Amino acid sequence: LGKNFQEEQFTEMIKFTPPLYKQRYQFVKDLVGKYKPKKVADLGCADCTLLWMLKFCSCIEVLAGLDICASVMKEKMHRLSPLPGDYLQPTERSLTVTLHHGSVAHKDPCMLGFDLVTCIELIEHLEESDLEMFPEVVFGFMSPTMVVISTPNSEFNTLLPGVRVFRHPDHKFEWDRAQFQSWALDTAKRYDYSVEFTGVGNPPTGMEDVGFCTQIGVFVKRYPQTSVSAQSEKPAEAAYKTVFKAVYPSLKDEKYLQNAVVSEVMFTAQIIKRNLLDNLVSEYEENNDDPAERKFKLQHSVNCFSEDLETWANAVVSEVMFTAQIIKRIPLRKIFSFPKVNRLCGTFEKLCKLITGKVTLSSDGSAVMLSTEHENEEN
Amino acid sequence: QQTLPSHPSGHRQPQQPCLPPSLSEEFGGRGRQRGPQSVPKQLGLQISAGFQELSLADRGGRRRDFHDLGVNTRQAIEHVRESKTGSSGIMIKLIANYFRLTSRPQWALYQYHIGYNPEMEARRLRSALLFQHEELIGKTHAFDGSILFLPKKLGNKVTEVFSKTRNGEDVKITITLTNELPPTSPTCLQFYNIIFRRLLKMMNLQQIGRNYYNPNDPVSIPNHRLLVWPGFTSSILQYEESIMLCADVSHKILRSETVLDFMYSLYYQVEEQRFRDACAKELIGLIILTKYNNRTYRVDDIDWDANPQCTFRRADGSEISYVDYYRRQYNQEITDLNQPVLISQSRRKRGSMMSGPVVLIPELCYLTGLTEKMRNDFNMMKDLAVHTRLPPERRQHEIGRLIDYIQKDDSVQKELRDWGLSFDSNLLSFTGRVVQAEKILQAGNVFDYNPQFADWSRETRVAPLISAKPLDNWLLIYTRRNYDIANTLLQNLFKVTPSMGIRMNKATMIEVDDRTEAYLRVLQHSITPDTNIAVCILSSSRKDKYDAIKKYLCTDCPIPSQCVVARTLSKPQTTLAIVTKIALQMNCKMGGELWSVEIPLKQVMVVGIDCYHDSLAGKQSIAGFVASLNQTMTRWFSRCVLQSRGQELVDGLKACLQTALRDWFKWNKYLPSRIIVYRDGVGDGQLNTLVNYEVPQFLDCLKTVGKDYNPRLTVIVVKKRVNTRFFAQSGGGLKNPPPGTVVDVEVTRPEWYDFFIVSQAVRNGCVAPTHYNVIYDTSKLKPDHVQRLTYKLCHMYYNWSGVIRVPAPCQYAHKLAFLVGQSIHREPNLLLSDRLYYL
Repeated sequence: LGKNFQEEQFTEMIKFTPPLYKQRYQFVKDLVGKYKPKKVADLGCADCTLLWMLKFCSCIEVLAGLDICASVMKEKMHRLSPLPGDYLQPTERSLTVTLHHGSVAHKDPCMLGFDLVTCIELIEHLEESDLEMFPEVVFGFMSPTMVVISTPNSEFNTLLPGVRVFRHPDHKFEWDRAQFQSWALDTAKRYDYSVEFTGVGNPPTGMEDVGFCTQIGVFVKRYPQTSVSAQSEKPAEAAYKTVFKAVYPSLKDEKYLQNAVVSEVMFTAQIIKRNLLDNLVSEYEENNDDPAERKFKLQHSVNCFSEDLETWANAVVSEVMFTAQIIKRIPLRKIFSFPKVNRLCGTFEKLCKLITGKVTLSSDGSAVMLSTEHENEEN
Repeated sequence: QQTLPSHPSGHRQPQQPCLPPSLSEEFGGRGRQRGPQSVPKQLGLQISAGFQELSLADRGGRRRDFHDLGVNTRQAIEHVRESKTGSSGIMIKLIANYFRLTSRPQWALYQYHIGYNPEMEARRLRSALLFQHEELIGKTHAFDGSILFLPKKLGNKVTEVFSKTRNGEDVKITITLTNELPPTSPTCLQFYNIIFRRLLKMMNLQQIGRNYYNPNDPVSIPNHRLLVWPGFTSSILQYEESIMLCADVSHKILRSETVLDFMYSLYYQVEEQRFRDACAKELIGLIILTKYNNRTYRVDDIDWDANPQCTFRRADGSEISYVDYYRRQYNQEITDLNQPVLISQSRRKRGSMMSGPVVLIPELCYLTGLTEKMRNDFNMMKDLAVHTRLPPERRQHEIGRLIDYIQKDDSVQKELRDWGLSFDSNLLSFTGRVVQAEKILQAGNVFDYNPQFADWSRETRVAPLISAKPLDNWLLIYTRRNYDIANTLLQNLFKVTPSMGIRMNKATMIEVDDRTEAYLRVLQHSITPDTNIAVCILSSSRKDKYDAIKKYLCTDCPIPSQCVVARTLSKPQTTLAIVTKIALQMNCKMGGELWSVEIPLKQVMVVGIDCYHDSLAGKQSIAGFVASLNQTMTRWFSRCVLQSRGQELVDGLKACLQTALRDWFKWNKYLPSRIIVYRDGVGDGQLNTLVNYEVPQFLDCLKTVGKDYNPRLTVIVVKKRVNTRFFAQSGGGLKNPPPGTVVDVEVTRPEWYDFFIVSQAVRNGCVAPTHYNVIYDTSKLKPDHVQRLTYKLCHMYYNWSGVIRVPAPCQYAHKLAFLVGQSIHREPNLLLSDRLYYL
């Protein structure tokens, strides 16, 4: 609780820009950008700020958060809900965000199969008994491809004038680099991970030997492919309680894909119709004086486009105002040639399948029929 | 008898003490809010800004007083203090979209002040420290960092507890009871609304603007790339007898295209040189929704000189480009680096500071709502109406779903139980009245019409008019292509005018090229002082030609004019009906009178005021002012006020009132002893300004008219956009209440002299009642008489042979303001002011 706040107070003398907590989150984001994990869990997610930042990363399809305190998660969890915009233009990727209430000392099958697990400023809050369980739960049980652990570097504390014992009253310990690295190397060895050390929060010039303000260990599993088979003991029971779940609209979901395709098809049909009309009107106006030539040109432009429109061409030529009602049929093939439609459906067959029953088609199913109502205008 | 001073007093009144800080912004209307709210708060208690944040709902600063709470006008109107109800008409059983809020007996909300020693700054720390004592406080609480609300009373008035911060510091927390709030206190009302919004959020409804929507089953209208989200608008207020939740179905129209998509498709539709203007015209004033967070903004401007690569200064002082900012903050890639940026003048307040304009990237913003162009698209509106115009039974069903959701959701129920609150599961039912139908009087004839349809076009079709103006000398201008249409019009006019009593000569027929200048040249050459009216046949409904003609004929060369789009006369089966309408319209424009209803009140001048706001933001606002000139209310004086930003509308209205009185005097040789003002175009939350500023100015203006002149003044605020809906029980089902339904109980507000009238009939969907709020009244007229007069006036709009939603002077004022705002942009020539030239 309030860990970011407390730290900021202490680091007032040494000012980090951007603030240290943002640097930690950015570190994770950069890592995600580099390795493109699909399933990411944040242990000790607190007010879900990191999860909120990560939901914008387009590679991620599953996001999970875990915290021992439900109320702190609940306070801002609605930030993780889909936005109206997510419904308006569903994306290709699917995304599910789940928040769990529970302890990192307990195993729950919902945490299996992750690509990245982050523990940002978590371990120093753990009681000794929980800390003992932690490697077994995270590395042994969850066994993700990559684990990121960050924790304060106590050597830096001398530069933080306000710090008496620890940086935050809830910290149970703060390690120096040697302590953290020996714990990390030990853990990595036991569970067959490799580990590299880095950090955020550069020390001021001249004091470089104290190291980063926050030390970070990045653990990578040595034999990632064995992950699933290696699970010896799978607890059948859930130890965590789900407090929040949001499934984002995605084109992978047939319902959203169909909506998107139908909408795009209808819109494209309207564009085609309008372009045709515009062309005809401008030619009509250009050749207003010479009916013979006009007829020829119109016929020509119509023929170029499609033989389907023969009748229409005659109607236009035979007189008058280009009322919209004349164009009825827009060939599906033509619609399919538009890049957006093409991208959404992939194949022509898929297009036909998706719009069946949702769009009025000609009797042979080869064209979209547009409604022929009059444009009624009241004055 | 009083006499009018020969010229109105020129000196300005000394500044009123009650002048609000930004008056020019106060006269917004049509429910669209503009400008910072400056209504002085009269509530004893305000829920702090902190609570607004806590509410999960109201983000970004202070909430406006949308409900005009704390404006207590009834008190000052002596004769309605006891009772404000009318009496005439027959009783009707009604249901309204309201649910009673019930609380357990002796319910109260306990308000505590929380003090910390030593002082703690951070809100989260303050909460954490306080809630270490949950066993004392209980699990149900609302806390904003200094004020704590509890559903129960603690043992002592002052309780002191100690908490330890995590660095082991001891903090003394003092919990002091500051208030015991009865269920009806204003603070409680705000509190209910906050809790209710919490519930809506719990039910996974998405907040957009003020309302909540369900994103899970949207209706899609692919032809126009529209999505319609069903949702609810709701508010909890103190009504006449009880506190109720008013809930109505709301539909949010969203568009699955970004502003940039829209710009591109517009680019292909218009010529290059018109592109920027077209963008401004279509986009400015629209509400957009950002892709990356759930915020809505109004587009106030487009900056074509800027692009996403421009930089801005962040809070920490660093410079960053928009591209980088959105990439870093939201992983949003901006692909088009040449797009302009949108500017929104922020109306949110951050603390005491007004934040500056907000810059938005078109590619990252979705459009919402409808453009003017879409609204004019008949087919589209029809497609939309299928989904949004719900007939009474379906509407009632959809509203009932909200209560269903509430009752089925366990966590929502728990929250309500913990606070000791609950909602009635049935809609409010009560009794209203249907006043008797009016008789239509037309040149000695009396017509009854079927009150169910509120329309008498058939009954009066061939009857002579009260006053028919001759068409002795008139112009008919058309293009070569529309020669036949012009003849059709002429022939049909010859058919329909005799029975109306209109004397008609053949028009001077003039053929023109289909260009604006050609029309104008012909008008300049052909109009003589004897010309009665100029009729122009237009080949399309393109606005520029219409605007140019109207502008010329309303300002430089003031004569009545009638424009007809050729297409409207192209269908033989409807021609006669349309020409009949055109003939009536032309007659009104020339100063003729069509029909009247019986008006028992004598010496009364009725005034209607409405506002129009130019959608091209900030240009100007126009107020239409219309006042009756005769006893039968068939003749009207019309004038308008153009108000640019920063000007005070009311000064112009005073001038209008003075000239109207002078004209009245010319017509009647005496001054009216009563003036009744119907004021439309008042936005939510603006009532206070009206009461404290505009009404005193009217009174002031009347004083300047003559020493002994002391007419009785009534000011009635007319509101069309209300969430209230009434359903009439008939048999087993629900219908729209019939025209003439008056409601002045239950759903009115105890602190106002207000009532609802359903005056019009609708063919589909639910009828919307109009709300009337008498904010000032020295007339001593009985409520029943005010209600009846109001309903009578809804019969007097000459462009519609039927009853309309608002009193005719309001509709005339609207029509005038609209014409000036849309087409003329200047004050029309006052020579026209005694005719309905703008119909």
